Amino acid sequence: MKTWMKAAATASAMAAGVVFAAPALAQDGSIYIPNLSYRTGPFAATGTPLMNGQRDYITLLNERDGGLNGAKLVYDECETGYNTEKGVECYEKTKANAVVTQPWSTGITLQVLPKSNVDEIPILAPGYGFSAMADGKVFQWAYNPPSSYWDGASMILNHISDNDLSSLSGKKIALLHLDHPYGKEPIPLFEKLAGEHGFTFLPIPVGLTEMQNQAAQWLQIRRERPDYVIMWGWGAMNAGALTEAAKTKYPMDQFLGIWWSGHDGDLKLIGDQGKGYRSISWSVPNSESSLMQDIKTHVVDAGKSQINQAEGEFDSVFYQRGIMISVILVEGIRAAQEEFDTQTPNAEQVRWGLENIKLDEARLKELGAEGMLVPFSTSCADHTGHGGGWMLEWDGSKFVKVSDIIQPDRSAIEPLEEEKAKEYAEANAPWPVNEECEM
Amino acid sequence: MELLNAIFVKPFADMAAAPDFLLQVLWEGLVGGVLYALIALGFVLIYKSSRIFNFAQGIMVVFAALTLVGLYEMGVPALLALPLTLGVMLLLAISIERVVLRPLVNQPDIILFMATIGITLFLIGLGEIIFGGENKVMITEQLGIPTGSILFEPFGGFVSIEEKDLTAVIGAGILVASLLVFLNKSKIGRAIRALGDDHQAALSVGISLSTIWVIVWFIAGVIALATGIVWGARAGVSFALEVIAYKALPVLMLGGLESVMGAIIGGLAIGILEKLFEIYWGQPLLGGNTEAWFAYVLALMVLLFRPQGLFGERIIERV
Repeated sequence: MKTWMKAAATASAMAAGVVFAAPALAQDGSIYIPNLSYRTGPFAATGTPLMNGQRDYITLLNERDGGLNGAKLVYDECETGYNTEKGVECYEKTKANAVVTQPWSTGITLQVLPKSNVDEIPILAPGYGFSAMADGKVFQWAYNPPSSYWDGASMILNHISDNDLSSLSGKKIALLHLDHPYGKEPIPLFEKLAGEHGFTFLPIPVGLTEMQNQAAQWLQIRRERPDYVIMWGWGAMNAGALTEAAKTKYPMDQFLGIWWSGHDGDLKLIGDQGKGYRSISWSVPNSESSLMQDIKTHVVDAGKSQINQAEGEFDSVFYQRGIMISVILVEGIRAAQEEFDTQTPNAEQVRWGLENIKLDEARLKELGAEGMLVPFSTSCADHTGHGGGWMLEWDGSKFVKVSDIIQPDRSAIEPLEEEKAKEYAEANAPWPVNEECEM
Repeated sequence: MELLNAIFVKPFADMAAAPDFLLQVLWEGLVGGVLYALIALGFVLIYKSSRIFNFAQGIMVVFAALTLVGLYEMGVPALLALPLTLGVMLLLAISIERVVLRPLVNQPDIILFMATIGITLFLIGLGEIIFGGENKVMITEQLGIPTGSILFEPFGGFVSIEEKDLTAVIGAGILVASLLVFLNKSKIGRAIRALGDDHQAALSVGISLSTIWVIVWFIAGVIALATGIVWGARAGVSFALEVIAYKALPVLMLGGLESVMGAIIGGLAIGILEKLFEIYWGQPLLGGNTEAWFAYVLALMVLLFRPQGLFGERIIERV
């Protein structure tokens, strides 16, 4: 009874916490890193391992190294449930002491974007958000390394066409996407490339309430017979699509996804039936790397992690991607510490750090994460880095790397980035633009 | 002219040109409709007996399915996990009646509705703590549900029917038929209906409000478990199942909040019509995802002519 009462009390507290959580305050000599996370709601299954990874890398630095160059890192999650309104509330609640904000949803990123210029807090959105944020002259406070959604779309097309997009002429490519800002993000690039290279582009939206019942979408796929289906799914949508694909016997080698549609947990639902499904990814798990072994020793085995070891979360793509995301963030903070000779850089200094990240192969090796993240570097004008990505393939039980690093076709993307960034600045005028790229 | 052709001619020409595909659409619509009807039934039963719109019905689906899978993962055999889960749902029903509903007897409907929102938040937190947020695989095969598919080849084409969908349709049919018999023929069923008609009169003839509420919430729990198994078998068990409850709202608007028959017919009608509309009109003309709103528009059109829904009771109040 006592256990029940305790669970009941904790559950009530947790439920209340979603609404009333107070932000953790930065202490002297510490760096406050809020994360607008989601471990509840329809997207919890994919959000949880990523958040666990982010948390565990920060815990490792605090436990193993005593923080970052002597400064304790205060990692604080604010639960959004992937809900844009709650995300904005979380941003407002955590911004006072934050050196960075991590919105964790393209919808929330788009809402926070105009505020970043006013509040002067950098937005870090690794592998998500508005692709045109790559233009650092227009989006001075927003960063989406190491690859944007438009990069991802281009990489997938390069992969299926063997780097010859003209070979796609006459083919039909369907985009099965969440009907949400995230899912719609690659559409402008697909439309542009379809016009230029003569393939038919067919967007197929999946609504929030239809994520687990995609019969209509897959009936459309059966009728239209696309040569490829590219998935821009998240949360339960991935699992829903994969089970429908298996059910309708759509060839898995013609079914590919963006990096957020490559979650081990989703593929495990269909196991062998998912063999051949591919997902582009800018990170690759490697549990034997020295970084992961350190996390195992100092965090997981020490009982300081929240991962579900029984489900094999430690080895999963998403958990280790969460770790890489914190690696990117910490490298930005470290760069700011060194440049400004301070243990506790402020938000503006961290902004400088984020546009001076140099995560090349040598640095990744030094961190013990060689081959786990595409090498990239950011600059004042380039807030993405465009590091490219590997193609991962599901072998029935896990994802394996099946390609070298694939690069996006930047010549096709850059004009679109410039055009959309300009459109955004004009629509939100007066919007400060840093033409000279001076801080 | 082209638009008129796309609305009034082409869809029907497409149906005639590929009748096997039309059959597949109808089957998928029927399966969806049965599932909507199941969720709506959970709402109707509770509303019928207590006038409470149970906001927690969606999370009860998640909680029941997670309990079943969670028990199995703890090493409990599937066929034992099933009755144990029913036991948990009974405990939940008793707890809700004792802790939440009993102290709120005679409070306005909106207070009781708000209390079910509280139950939802509590179950989300409790579920997260006990089971975590990961997507879990439904123990379909372990429960003896067949997972193959049956292929028909009518009209030179093909229609594929998943055995688990077929089982869901048959199982839901049996569940609904049993419920109808229970509500119409048993003493408790009559008591539930009596409470729905007039609380005061029912109490005056010795019907126990507390007992009936426990029974009704337990039946809603059984329906939630059945719904959770069926939906979970399609795309895993996670908190995403909760959003499926939203699909029941237009069913309730269409069928009427207090009508069991309305929930069944409303669910089937919406399931089939929304699929037909999406495939033959929504995707070609409107870019797809019309299922997000079609059912609501249909329900609103019905409400224009029958404000109480197709099968709802007409309430006449004298001034």
